[in-house]
Amino acid sequence: MKKTLTILFIFFSLTVSSQCVSNQSFLLSSPGPYSPGDVVAVDYTLGTFTQLNINWIIAFQINLGVGWTNLIPLINPVGGGTQTGNWVWDLQNTYPSGLNFGPGWRFNNTGFNPDWGSSSTGPFTMRFRVTVGPTCTPDDLSITINVIGDCLTGGWNNGACCSDPAYNIYNGNVQIVTPITSNINHY
Amino acid sequence: MKKLLTVLLVCFGLATYGQTTINPDTVCANATGEQYFVTNTPTSTYNWTVTGGGGTLQTGQGSNSITVDWGGVSGLYPNAIEVIESNAANCPGTPVLLDVFVLDLSGNIIGPFCPGDPTTPLVGNPAGGTWTGTGVVANAFQPSTAGVGNYVLTYSMAGCNTTINVVVNNGPVTGPIQHF
Repeated sequence: MKKTLTILFIFFSLTVSSQCVSNQSFLLSSPGPYSPGDVVAVDYTLGTFTQLNINWIIAFQINLGVGWTNLIPLINPVGGGTQTGNWVWDLQNTYPSGLNFGPGWRFNNTGFNPDWGSSSTGPFTMRFRVTVGPTCTPDDLSITINVIGDCLTGGWNNGACCSDPAYNIYNGNVQIVTPITSNINHY
Repeated sequence: MKKLLTVLLVCFGLATYGQTTINPDTVCANATGEQYFVTNTPTSTYNWTVTGGGGTLQTGQGSNSITVDWGGVSGLYPNAIEVIESNAANCPGTPVLLDVFVLDLSGNIIGPFCPGDPTTPLVGNPAGGTWTGTGVVANAFQPSTAGVGNYVLTYSMAGCNTTINVVVNNGPVTGPIQHF
Protein backbone atom coordinates (compact mmCIF):
# COMPACT_ATOMS: atom_id res chain seq x y z
CA MET A 1 0.00 0.00 0.00
CA LYS A 2 2.80 2.35 0.98
CA LYS A 3 4.69 1.56 -2.21
CA THR A 4 1.58 2.28 -4.30
CA LEU A 5 1.07 5.64 -2.62
CA THR A 6 4.70 6.56 -3.23
CA ILE A 7 4.45 5.75 -6.92
CA LEU A 8 1.25 7.75 -7.22
CA PHE A 9 2.84 10.68 -5.42
CA ILE A 10 5.86 10.67 -7.72
CA PHE A 11 3.67 10.48 -10.82
CA PHE A 12 1.48 13.31 -9.53
CA SER A 13 4.52 15.47 -8.82
CA LEU A 14 5.94 14.91 -12.28
CA THR A 15 2.65 15.78 -13.91
CA VAL A 16 1.84 18.91 -11.94
CA SER A 17 5.16 20.61 -11.24
CA SER A 18 7.73 18.87 -13.32
CA GLN A 19 10.58 20.90 -14.65
CA CYS A 20 11.94 20.24 -18.09
CA VAL A 21 14.94 22.54 -17.90
CA SER A 22 18.30 21.44 -16.54
CA ASN A 23 22.03 22.07 -16.82
CA GLN A 24 21.79 25.82 -17.35
CA SER A 25 24.90 27.98 -17.27
CA PHE A 26 26.03 31.46 -18.23
CA LEU A 27 29.10 33.59 -18.75
CA LEU A 28 29.31 37.38 -18.47
CA SER A 29 31.95 39.31 -20.39
CA SER A 30 32.68 41.25 -17.21
CA PRO A 31 31.53 40.32 -13.74
CA GLY A 32 30.04 43.63 -12.58
CA PRO A 33 29.10 45.77 -10.80
CA TYR A 34 28.20 47.98 -13.74
CA SER A 35 28.02 51.72 -14.32
CA PRO A 36 26.21 53.78 -16.97
CA GLY A 37 27.62 53.04 -20.42
CA ASP A 38 29.02 49.63 -19.56
CA VAL A 39 28.44 47.02 -22.26
CA VAL A 40 28.02 43.40 -21.22
CA ALA A 41 27.86 40.29 -23.38
CA VAL A 42 25.93 37.36 -21.96
CA ASP A 43 26.48 33.75 -23.02
CA TYR A 44 23.70 31.43 -21.93
CA THR A 45 23.54 27.68 -22.35
CA LEU A 46 20.63 25.38 -21.73
CA GLY A 47 22.19 21.95 -21.42
CA THR A 48 19.07 19.83 -21.53
CA PHE A 49 15.39 20.23 -22.19
CA THR A 50 13.52 17.12 -21.10
CA GLN A 51 10.42 16.60 -23.16
CA LEU A 52 8.00 15.48 -20.49
CA ASN A 53 4.65 14.53 -21.97
CA ILE A 54 6.03 15.44 -25.39
CA ASN A 55 6.22 19.12 -24.50
CA TRP A 56 8.73 20.85 -26.73
CA ILE A 57 10.83 23.89 -26.17
CA ILE A 58 9.61 26.93 -28.08
CA ALA A 59 11.18 30.11 -26.76
CA PHE A 60 13.85 31.80 -24.65
CA GLN A 61 12.63 35.01 -23.10
CA ILE A 62 15.15 37.52 -21.76
CA ASN A 63 14.02 39.54 -18.75
CA LEU A 64 15.98 42.70 -18.04
CA GLY A 65 15.87 45.21 -15.22
CA VAL A 66 15.01 48.77 -16.13
CA GLY A 67 18.64 49.82 -15.93
CA TRP A 68 19.53 47.95 -19.10
CA THR A 69 19.13 49.24 -22.61
CA ASN A 70 20.13 48.39 -26.15
CA LEU A 71 19.53 44.62 -26.08
CA ILE A 72 21.16 43.08 -29.13
CA PRO A 73 21.21 39.39 -30.16
CA LEU A 74 24.67 38.15 -31.12
CA ILE A 75 24.42 34.35 -31.46
CA ASN A 76 21.12 32.59 -32.11
CA PRO A 77 20.28 29.21 -30.60
CA VAL A 78 20.23 26.36 -33.09
CA GLY A 79 18.45 23.06 -33.25
CA GLY A 80 15.01 22.08 -34.39
CA GLY A 81 15.24 18.39 -33.67
CA THR A 82 13.03 16.55 -36.06
CA GLN A 83 11.10 19.71 -36.76
CA THR A 84 11.78 22.11 -39.57
CA GLY A 85 11.96 25.77 -38.73
CA ASN A 86 14.30 28.30 -37.27
CA TRP A 87 14.98 30.31 -34.15
CA VAL A 88 14.03 33.94 -34.72
CA TRP A 89 14.76 37.01 -32.63
CA ASP A 90 11.59 38.77 -31.64
CA LEU A 91 10.79 41.72 -29.44
CA GLN A 92 7.18 40.72 -28.92
CA ASN A 93 4.85 37.91 -29.86
CA THR A 94 1.47 36.95 -28.49
CA TYR A 95 0.89 33.19 -28.44
CA PRO A 96 -2.52 31.51 -28.75
CA SER A 97 -2.62 31.05 -24.98
CA GLY A 98 -2.36 34.82 -24.59
CA LEU A 99 1.23 34.60 -23.40
CA ASN A 100 2.93 37.88 -24.14
CA PHE A 101 6.43 36.88 -25.17
CA GLY A 102 9.49 38.99 -25.67
CA PRO A 103 12.14 39.96 -26.11
CA GLY A 104 14.09 36.84 -26.94
CA TRP A 105 14.34 33.99 -29.37
CA ARG A 106 11.41 31.84 -30.38
CA PHE A 107 11.25 28.78 -32.60
CA ASN A 108 9.23 29.25 -35.72
CA ASN A 109 8.04 25.75 -36.60
CA THR A 110 7.44 25.78 -40.32
CA GLY A 111 6.51 22.11 -40.44
CA PHE A 112 3.37 21.00 -38.68
CA ASN A 113 2.30 23.81 -36.41
CA PRO A 114 3.95 27.20 -35.74
CA ASP A 115 3.08 26.85 -32.05
CA TRP A 116 4.64 23.44 -31.48
CA GLY A 117 8.23 24.57 -31.01
CA SER A 118 11.40 22.60 -31.49
CA SER A 119 11.69 18.92 -30.74
CA SER A 120 15.39 19.31 -29.90
CA THR A 121 16.49 18.49 -26.36
CA GLY A 122 19.54 20.70 -26.56
CA PRO A 123 22.05 21.81 -25.75
CA PHE A 124 21.21 25.35 -26.84
CA THR A 125 23.71 28.17 -26.69
CA MET A 126 23.07 31.82 -27.40
CA ARG A 127 24.64 35.20 -26.82
CA PHE A 128 23.26 38.69 -26.44
CA ARG A 129 24.59 42.08 -25.49
CA VAL A 130 23.15 44.74 -23.20
CA THR A 131 24.24 48.23 -22.19
CA VAL A 132 23.74 50.05 -18.93
CA GLY A 133 21.59 53.06 -19.72
CA PRO A 134 22.34 56.61 -18.66
CA THR A 135 20.94 57.19 -15.20
CA CYS A 136 21.58 58.94 -11.93
CA THR A 137 19.69 56.39 -9.84
CA PRO A 138 20.69 52.84 -8.86
CA ASP A 139 18.34 51.18 -11.32
CA ASP A 140 17.73 47.43 -11.40
CA LEU A 141 20.17 45.48 -13.57
CA SER A 142 18.77 42.01 -13.10
CA ILE A 143 19.03 39.51 -15.95
CA THR A 144 16.95 36.35 -16.03
CA ILE A 145 15.90 33.94 -18.75
CA ASN A 146 12.66 32.05 -19.03
CA VAL A 147 12.66 28.87 -21.04
CA ILE A 148 9.20 28.46 -22.47
CA GLY A 149 7.70 25.13 -23.51
CA ASP A 150 4.80 24.83 -25.88
CA CYS A 151 2.68 23.97 -22.87
CA LEU A 152 2.70 27.70 -22.08
CA THR A 153 2.00 28.91 -25.58
CA GLY A 154 -1.12 26.90 -26.14
CA GLY A 155 0.51 24.74 -28.76
CA TRP A 156 0.46 21.58 -26.70
CA ASN A 157 -1.21 21.50 -23.34
CA ASN A 158 -0.91 18.43 -21.21
CA GLY A 159 0.49 19.78 -17.99
CA ALA A 160 4.24 19.42 -18.20
CA CYS A 161 6.96 22.04 -18.60
CA CYS A 162 4.63 24.79 -17.49
CA SER A 163 6.40 25.77 -14.31
CA ASP A 164 10.07 26.11 -15.06
CA PRO A 165 11.31 29.05 -13.02
CA ALA A 166 13.27 31.92 -14.51
CA TYR A 167 17.01 31.30 -14.52
CA ASN A 168 18.93 34.03 -12.73
CA ILE A 169 22.00 35.37 -14.49
CA TYR A 170 22.68 38.63 -12.70
CA ASN A 171 21.39 40.54 -9.71
CA GLY A 172 22.56 44.06 -9.03
CA ASN A 173 21.99 47.73 -9.48
CA VAL A 174 23.63 50.50 -11.44
CA GLN A 175 26.67 51.82 -9.65
CA ILE A 176 26.16 55.56 -9.41
CA VAL A 177 29.02 57.92 -8.81
CA THR A 178 27.78 61.30 -7.65
CA PRO A 179 30.21 64.18 -7.35
CA ILE A 180 31.44 65.22 -3.93
CA THR A 181 31.85 68.96 -3.90
CA SER A 182 34.26 70.79 -1.62
CA ASN A 183 33.14 73.64 0.59
CA ILE A 184 32.69 77.04 -1.03
CA ASN A 185 35.72 79.23 -0.56
CA HIS A 186 36.06 82.99 -0.87
CA TYR A 187 39.24 84.76 -1.93
CA MET B 1 58.34 68.59 21.85
CA LYS B 2 54.55 68.67 22.10
CA LYS B 3 54.54 72.27 20.88
CA LEU B 4 56.73 71.39 17.91
CA LEU B 5 54.42 68.57 16.94
CA THR B 6 51.42 70.90 17.15
CA VAL B 7 53.10 73.46 14.89
CA LEU B 8 54.02 70.77 12.39
CA LEU B 9 50.49 69.44 12.44
CA VAL B 10 49.02 72.89 11.77
CA CYS B 11 51.45 73.55 8.93
CA PHE B 12 50.75 70.16 7.39
CA GLY B 13 47.03 70.77 7.67
CA LEU B 14 47.25 74.14 5.95
CA ALA B 15 49.42 72.76 3.19
CA THR B 16 47.10 69.82 2.60
CA TYR B 17 43.69 71.43 2.67
CA GLY B 18 44.47 75.04 1.72
CA GLN B 19 42.11 77.90 2.38
CA THR B 20 38.72 77.23 3.88
CA THR B 21 36.17 79.99 4.26
CA ILE B 22 34.43 80.06 7.60
CA ASN B 23 30.65 79.95 7.48
CA PRO B 24 29.17 82.54 7.46
CA ASP B 25 31.40 84.38 5.08
CA THR B 26 31.71 88.12 5.65
CA VAL B 27 31.68 90.60 2.77
CA CYS B 28 31.70 94.36 2.72
CA ALA B 29 28.57 96.20 1.69
CA ASN B 30 28.57 97.05 -2.01
CA ALA B 31 31.63 94.90 -2.62
CA THR B 32 32.14 94.01 -6.27
CA GLY B 33 33.91 91.15 -8.02
CA GLU B 34 34.05 88.91 -4.96
CA GLN B 35 35.33 85.52 -6.05
CA TYR B 36 33.92 82.24 -4.77
CA PHE B 37 35.15 78.82 -5.80
CA VAL B 38 35.08 75.09 -5.11
CA THR B 39 37.69 72.52 -5.98
CA ASN B 40 37.54 71.93 -9.71
CA THR B 41 36.79 68.61 -11.35
CA PRO B 42 37.46 69.12 -15.07
CA THR B 43 34.63 66.85 -16.23
CA SER B 44 32.04 68.48 -13.97
CA THR B 45 29.81 71.48 -14.43
CA TYR B 46 28.70 73.77 -11.63
CA ASN B 47 25.36 75.48 -11.21
CA TRP B 48 25.54 78.47 -8.87
CA THR B 49 22.71 80.35 -7.23
CA VAL B 50 23.08 83.66 -5.38
CA THR B 51 20.16 84.83 -3.28
CA GLY B 52 19.76 87.60 -0.72
CA GLY B 53 22.10 90.35 0.29
CA GLY B 54 21.50 92.11 -2.99
CA GLY B 55 23.99 89.71 -4.51
CA THR B 56 24.18 89.22 -8.24
CA LEU B 57 26.25 86.61 -10.01
CA GLN B 58 28.51 88.38 -12.45
CA THR B 59 30.77 85.79 -14.10
CA GLY B 60 31.64 82.11 -14.11
CA GLN B 61 28.28 80.32 -14.12
CA GLY B 62 28.94 76.70 -15.10
CA SER B 63 32.51 76.75 -13.89
CA ASN B 64 33.95 76.08 -10.44
CA SER B 65 34.60 79.78 -9.80
CA ILE B 66 32.30 82.80 -9.89
CA THR B 67 32.35 86.48 -9.08
CA VAL B 68 29.56 88.23 -7.18
CA ASP B 69 28.61 91.84 -6.57
CA TRP B 70 26.93 92.46 -3.23
CA GLY B 71 24.31 94.96 -2.12
CA GLY B 72 24.52 97.53 0.64
CA VAL B 73 22.05 96.23 3.21
CA SER B 74 23.84 94.87 6.23
CA GLY B 75 22.74 91.55 7.66
CA LEU B 76 23.09 87.79 7.71
CA TYR B 77 21.81 86.00 4.62
CA PRO B 78 21.50 82.23 5.15
CA ASN B 79 22.33 80.02 2.16
CA ALA B 80 23.12 83.07 0.07
CA ILE B 81 25.38 81.05 -2.21
CA GLU B 82 24.58 77.55 -3.45
CA VAL B 83 26.45 75.38 -5.88
CA ILE B 84 25.41 72.03 -7.34
CA GLU B 85 28.05 70.03 -9.14
CA SER B 86 27.06 67.64 -11.95
CA ASN B 87 29.49 65.03 -13.21
CA ALA B 88 30.11 63.88 -16.77
CA ALA B 89 27.02 61.64 -16.61
CA ASN B 90 25.00 64.72 -15.64
CA CYS B 91 24.32 63.32 -12.18
CA PRO B 92 24.06 66.05 -9.54
CA GLY B 93 25.85 66.00 -6.25
CA THR B 94 24.65 67.31 -2.93
CA PRO B 95 24.11 71.09 -2.90
CA VAL B 96 26.82 73.00 -1.07
CA LEU B 97 25.72 76.17 0.71
CA LEU B 98 27.38 79.22 2.20
CA ASP B 99 25.84 81.84 4.47
CA VAL B 100 26.94 85.41 3.85
CA PHE B 101 27.06 88.33 6.24
CA VAL B 102 27.02 91.71 4.49
CA LEU B 103 28.89 94.15 6.66
CA ASP B 104 28.04 97.85 6.39
CA LEU B 105 30.29 99.95 8.65
CA SER B 106 29.58 103.47 9.87
CA GLY B 107 31.23 105.88 12.29
CA ASN B 108 29.98 108.69 14.54
CA ILE B 109 30.30 112.30 13.42
CA ILE B 110 32.56 114.30 15.68
CA GLY B 111 33.94 117.81 15.75
CA PRO B 112 34.78 120.39 14.75
CA PHE B 113 37.41 120.71 17.41
CA CYS B 114 39.73 123.27 18.76
CA PRO B 115 43.26 122.22 19.58
CA GLY B 116 42.64 122.30 23.25
CA ASP B 117 39.47 120.25 23.27
CA PRO B 118 39.45 117.06 25.30
CA THR B 119 39.84 113.58 23.84
CA THR B 120 36.65 112.31 22.21
CA PRO B 121 35.72 108.63 21.85
CA LEU B 122 35.32 107.32 18.32
CA VAL B 123 32.28 105.08 17.91
CA GLY B 124 32.00 102.59 15.07
CA ASN B 125 28.97 100.54 14.15
CA PRO B 126 28.98 97.64 14.55
CA ALA B 127 31.33 97.81 17.47
CA GLY B 128 34.52 95.84 17.66
CA GLY B 129 36.52 97.43 14.86
CA THR B 130 39.62 99.57 14.93
CA TRP B 131 40.08 103.30 14.29
CA THR B 132 43.17 104.66 12.62
CA GLY B 133 44.32 108.09 11.49
CA THR B 134 46.07 111.21 12.70
CA GLY B 135 45.26 111.99 16.30
CA VAL B 136 43.72 108.58 17.00
CA VAL B 137 44.83 107.02 20.24
CA ALA B 138 43.10 103.90 21.56
CA ASN B 139 39.96 104.39 19.43
CA ALA B 140 39.63 108.03 20.54
CA PHE B 141 40.48 111.33 18.86
CA GLN B 142 42.91 113.70 20.55
CA PRO B 143 42.68 117.19 18.93
CA SER B 144 45.79 118.28 20.73
CA THR B 145 47.76 115.41 19.21
CA ALA B 146 46.36 115.94 15.73
CA GLY B 147 46.78 119.72 15.72
CA VAL B 148 45.00 122.13 13.42
CA GLY B 149 43.84 120.63 10.12
CA ASN B 150 41.40 118.38 8.24
CA TYR B 151 41.73 114.65 8.87
CA VAL B 152 40.26 111.47 7.49
CA LEU B 153 39.83 108.77 10.13
CA THR B 154 39.23 105.14 9.13
CA TYR B 155 37.16 102.52 10.92
CA SER B 156 38.07 98.95 9.96
CA MET B 157 36.58 95.55 10.67
CA ALA B 158 36.85 92.18 8.94
CA GLY B 159 38.55 93.70 5.93
CA CYS B 160 35.91 96.43 5.50
CA ASN B 161 36.49 100.14 5.97
CA THR B 162 34.56 103.34 6.39
CA THR B 163 35.81 106.89 6.94
CA ILE B 164 34.81 110.10 8.68
CA ASN B 165 36.20 113.62 8.27
CA VAL B 166 37.37 115.56 11.32
CA VAL B 167 38.31 119.22 11.50
CA VAL B 168 40.48 120.89 14.11
CA ASN B 169 40.20 124.65 13.81
CA ASN B 170 42.48 127.37 15.03
CA GLY B 171 41.45 128.84 18.35
CA PRO B 172 41.07 132.59 18.69
CA VAL B 173 44.34 134.48 19.03
CA THR B 174 43.98 136.83 21.90
CA GLY B 175 46.38 139.74 22.33
CA PRO B 176 48.12 140.60 25.58
CA ILE B 177 46.22 142.30 28.30
CA GLN B 178 46.68 146.09 28.06
CA HIS B 179 46.43 148.66 30.92
CA PHE B 180 45.16 152.09 30.03
